[in-house]
Amino acid sequence: MLLVGLALAAPAAAQDAPALSIRPFVLGAGQSFAAVDTFDAVFGRSYDVFLGGGVQVVVQDCFYFEGTASRFTQKGQRAFRSGGQNFRLGIPLTATIIPFEVTAGYRFHLSPRLRPYIAAGVGTYGYKETSEFSDPAENVDVRHVGFVANGGAEFRLHRWLGLSADVQYTHVPGILGVSGVSQQAGENDLGGVAARLKLIVGR
Amino acid sequence: MPRFRARTIAATLGVAAALVLTLRGQAPDARPFLQIADIGLPAVEEGGAVWNESHVPWTSQARAGRAAGVELVRAGVSGRSYATGKVIVRFRDEVAAEERRSIVRQASSTGEIATRRPYADFDIVRINPGEDAEAVAAGLNLRPQVLYAQAAYRVHATFVPNDPQYADLQWNLRLVNMEKAWDIQPQAGSSITVAVIDTGVAYRNATFSVNLRSFTHAGIRYPALGVQTIPYAAAPQLVGGSGSGRVVAPYDVISSGGNSPFDFDGHGTHVSGTIGQLTNDGIAVAGIAFNVKLMPVKVLGSFWDVIFGTAPSDGGSDDDVATGIRYAADNGAKIINMSLGSTGPPDCATNSNKFGCSPVVESAMKYAVGKGAFIVVAGGNEFEDNDPQFGANPTSVLAEIASRINGAVSVAAVDPSKNRAYYSSTGKYIEIAAPGGTSRGFGRNGFVFQQTFDFNFTDTFDPTVVPPSQYRAPRFDLLGTIGVTGTSMAAPHVAGIAAMLMQQGITDPAAIEEALEKSAVPLSLTGGDSCPPGTSAVAPRTCSFGFGLVDARNALRGLGLAR
Repeated sequence: MLLVGLALAAPAAAQDAPALSIRPFVLGAGQSFAAVDTFDAVFGRSYDVFLGGGVQVVVQDCFYFEGTASRFTQKGQRAFRSGGQNFRLGIPLTATIIPFEVTAGYRFHLSPRLRPYIAAGVGTYGYKETSEFSDPAENVDVRHVGFVANGGAEFRLHRWLGLSADVQYTHVPGILGVSGVSQQAGENDLGGVAARLKLIVGR
Repeated sequence: MPRFRARTIAATLGVAAALVLTLRGQAPDARPFLQIADIGLPAVEEGGAVWNESHVPWTSQARAGRAAGVELVRAGVSGRSYATGKVIVRFRDEVAAEERRSIVRQASSTGEIATRRPYADFDIVRINPGEDAEAVAAGLNLRPQVLYAQAAYRVHATFVPNDPQYADLQWNLRLVNMEKAWDIQPQAGSSITVAVIDTGVAYRNATFSVNLRSFTHAGIRYPALGVQTIPYAAAPQLVGGSGSGRVVAPYDVISSGGNSPFDFDGHGTHVSGTIGQLTNDGIAVAGIAFNVKLMPVKVLGSFWDVIFGTAPSDGGSDDDVATGIRYAADNGAKIINMSLGSTGPPDCATNSNKFGCSPVVESAMKYAVGKGAFIVVAGGNEFEDNDPQFGANPTSVLAEIASRINGAVSVAAVDPSKNRAYYSSTGKYIEIAAPGGTSRGFGRNGFVFQQTFDFNFTDTFDPTVVPPSQYRAPRFDLLGTIGVTGTSMAAPHVAGIAAMLMQQGITDPAAIEEALEKSAVPLSLTGGDSCPPGTSAVAPRTCSFGFGLVDARNALRGLGLAR
């Protein structure tokens, strides 16, 4: 009981949290793409890494707004999908996804060191696709709005440093599914589920 | 000046299951024909030949680099490919050397200015090959001391064969986007074997001793010529140099392997040329998959086969065709071209044992596809025919079978204007179209040209070729660039592209069919689709063109995630 109480006790520094806190962060995410067959056909796998960062504005130590920018880029091969089989054609292809996301969330007071949170918001997702032997008009450079929701917990390592881990779901319609392998696979969501780690600087 | 025949020949040979063609007056000798194989002079190639050093789109360094996993070329975000490891920079003239080095180091920690090349007014900045050259260039472009900076974008000529008659005669290869396809795959099918199930192929030199007796043809009595020595030459543009190993597992089905599959007609040799005539060698014309291995499988006899006694009839029968298909599949053919056919009832799909249907061929085709072979069948030349039993525009039985098998396609023919060739049969069984040529409206430029026998010297029995008074023994050692038309010529375009597609990575026959059909270019229907009465094709297919004109570049290029 004593140990639990000590663990849950707010450090002295937390008892005087500022009304408004601006906290930059860097993040890394491992994402499993919703378009499993599409990504598997071209890249040989349907999961990959996003790297980025952003800034969080925390109000009254509870509510917060967060802006995040990240980037994914990967090289694969142009492919063809038939009868559930993937055939890669040896023609290099590079895909880049650059999301800009804005979320609003709430941080729960479970303990001064451990702050679970949930958030939801919108994002604008840029997608670029270039291939060898392509005419310029055959490359892709589009941006579409998507939706994002996440939930996790932040662990305060230090008065000025925190580490958060969460799971984020994104839904990005309008880019995949119109043509290409994604149309063959019947997949139209560029989003997916990601496990994220953020290193946050600030109180 | 290439020779060409203005006559329209029936490029798909009639196959009648129960019909045996006989020649009146022929008295077959027990042994009228003696083959002395492998003894013969090389072919006389009409039209001249010029041998040139060939240029190769991919340098040996690039190939080796790709094989070793070294990335020498990268696709930039601009969409263009660039050579890694360097950036092109033009500094203002007044910028001192030390300042240039400093600017470069600020843009890239690994940047070093190389010694300027003669005749260049720009500098090459060497960077780590792993760096993004476009990003480095973008950083340099922000500096006022830099006039311009760019990645070293790759340039290469679209592969245009140096075969001298390519540009003049081969509208057909440009129609299916072969130049860009060769850029994608310069190997052009080098690991694939294509079986040509046809009249045989001119694949080896020989000399024949033949007792030419008298016969009657087209109502004309031709005199006996006695024992004649008939030269036969391999088509140089097919077999390449001696020992090239290009021709594999040749087989004469008609004699159950007793004879070699010599082509005494020229049809099979011409078809083989579209599939894989040697290309970029400074001679004659080009072929599509010019590095494939060819497998001659003779299932059709010709007029001279009957005279020589090497075939019972002009044409063939379903059992020969089925045996040939099975032989090809069992001996490693991954693509099977069948520029042959026959007309029959339109409803074999619902009753394959009905008279006129060919269940033996259907079974063989399914067997071959099951063994991983992709089959291409000519769609038929009977659009303007009126069969007394099957009516106008009768169904091409073997093409209809192909349309029901995933992994086999039926091919219609188009002319240089991408209109349906006047002869090309139509029906909902047509799956794709390719250039077959036409004798109407385009003159010489409507034909499909490949190397084969000069008919003036082979078809001495044909009064439209050689006056009967000048009848003489044939010779099969004079070859030229000969133009013909037919769905027989259309089919090998698809076979050659399929071979390249299989080498590119699509190894399943059904997937090849799907890739070809999905990448085909839909064609407009001037005057509407010409479906047989009471039938229609389901969109996006048409009775005239199937899914459209085959496009080699689209097929080989495949798909990205989003486009």
